[in-house]
Amino acid sequence: MSKRADAAPTAALGALLVEALRVTYRLPGGRGGTVPALRGISLTLPPNRILGLLGPNGAGKTTLIQTLLGFVKPSAGTVQIFGAAAGSRAARARLGYLPELPLFYPYLTGRELLDFNGRLFGLAPRVRRARAADLLERVGLTPAADRRLAAYSRGMLQRIGLAQALINNPDLVILDEPTSGLDPLGRLEVRRLISDLKTDGKTILFSSHELSEVELVCDQVAILSAGRLLRHGNPTDWQQPGESLEQLFVREIQADRAGNAA
Amino acid sequence: MRAAGAIACQVWRELYRRKDIYVLFILLGALLLTLVSGDIFGVAGAGRYVLEAGLLLAWAFSLILLIATTARQLPTEEERGTIYPLLAKPLTRAEYLLGKWFGCWAAIWAATALFYLLSAGVVWGQGGAVGLPELLQAFLLHGLLLAWLGAATLALSTRCSTAATMALAWIGLAVSGLVAPAVPTVVAQAPAVSRELLLALYYALPHAALFDLRVRAVHQWGAAPAGAIALTAAYGLCWTLFFLLLAWLGYRRKRFKPTT
Ligand SMILES: Nc1ncnc2c1ncn2[C@@H]1O[C@H](COP(=O)(O)OP(=O)(O)OP(=O)(O)O)[C@@H](O)[C@H]1O
Ligand SMILES: [Mg+2]
Repeated sequence: MSKRADAAPTAALGALLVEALRVTYRLPGGRGGTVPALRGISLTLPPNRILGLLGPNGAGKTTLIQTLLGFVKPSAGTVQIFGAAAGSRAARARLGYLPELPLFYPYLTGRELLDFNGRLFGLAPRVRRARAADLLERVGLTPAADRRLAAYSRGMLQRIGLAQALINNPDLVILDEPTSGLDPLGRLEVRRLISDLKTDGKTILFSSHELSEVELVCDQVAILSAGRLLRHGNPTDWQQPGESLEQLFVREIQADRAGNAA
Repeated sequence: MRAAGAIACQVWRELYRRKDIYVLFILLGALLLTLVSGDIFGVAGAGRYVLEAGLLLAWAFSLILLIATTARQLPTEEERGTIYPLLAKPLTRAEYLLGKWFGCWAAIWAATALFYLLSAGVVWGQGGAVGLPELLQAFLLHGLLLAWLGAATLALSTRCSTAATMALAWIGLAVSGLVAPAVPTVVAQAPAVSRELLLALYYALPHAALFDLRVRAVHQWGAAPAGAIALTAAYGLCWTLFFLLLAWLGYRRKRFKPTT
């Protein structure tokens, strides 16, 4: 299967290296009930790629992202980010993260939010100011930079969220549904931004339900279903002639479910 | 440590924009000026009682501000979900807690300084006298009480909601400040077994009343011996460290409910 294709040789250089990862949630109540959210995932992402993380609801996308960030501890297996353990300080210093719901401080202005996040990375004031101005420009928020976040629209919050994810000039950018809540123009801008990040040499991993969008920017996709990795690699390798990513996705998931039922 | 500083600044920025402190400051000024203009106490005794009222209000306001501000820090970040992007940054949980505690404490102690200055200012304005060394000592120990009380509130808030934390902090403070000092007198009449228990409790609790030097300041009894102040300060510091440690133990491995 093609998910094996780029595993071995680049493993040492991988921006992201996931090996036999299992995550089992314990259900609250203490009766010993468990939910297997990830059941043995292995995947390698070489630097400077854009990986789209796909899967139906409940497939384990958010769980995988939260494990990469160190919020969720694996029940088995390992996760390494540029050779450092997930959740370690070294790993976090090279990460940028946009949560699925952009939740920020209503009393801060956009510029202040960026400055605050820059301070958390220990950036000097001059660097913070310059980066904040640059990022605000890139996400199109310069005119609203000094307005409180409480007055931002959903799309503006999404964009300031993207900007804060980039304040430390991260090598690996993890975005949970970066285009949700954006109008078509906003989506286009975000796609451009993601492509620019790749040009800058960064590695990007993002989850999305917008397959047409994924098709436009990603050079790899990973399809999760019920905690297992169905496919990982370049979708053109498995697409039948004239088949869209969406059609491929539906075909894969249905085949998997039929296989599980049999 | 730099990250802890960033967290503390964030607390200040929020307080600065919430305006609670200004409101209480203006309220204090208005109340004191009413007292003075009404000349309720007669010219001779005025200064002393205005200062007494001012310091009483300074205590009340600082405790209200401290408990309310500290109690909401951690629960709010969790409810808003802002904790997730924070924990994805190279910031340890210890730094996060330290920043929150320091931010709340420093801001409220600074506000307390304003309340003291205003009270003393009104007395001076009326031509009254204020014993400066006593007032400074009172202010110092007041700050230490705020330090350990803030740490205790933060420790509670690692496991409780804002409302529950506030309730428990007030109950704890009432026990520490009002019930504990009464223990020695009660002990004399208690049966042997509960006597031991009461005394154990008495020594185990932090004593809020030790940090309250208002009476000395109001009646200008002169500065307390430096040794006594230093000892009380050290006692307050120990409790602060203890509660900070408790907060860290409560928060170190805490899991947050998933947002998605
Ligand atoms: N904290 C939790 N406790 C118990 N089970 C959980 C927890 N979080 C997730 N799960 C379960 O783990 C599985 C994977 O969930 P996850 O949120 O990772 O899916 P997802 O792919 O992000 O879905 P969506 O597309 O809806 O966001 C689901 O079956 C879910 O019910
Ligand atoms: Mg999800």
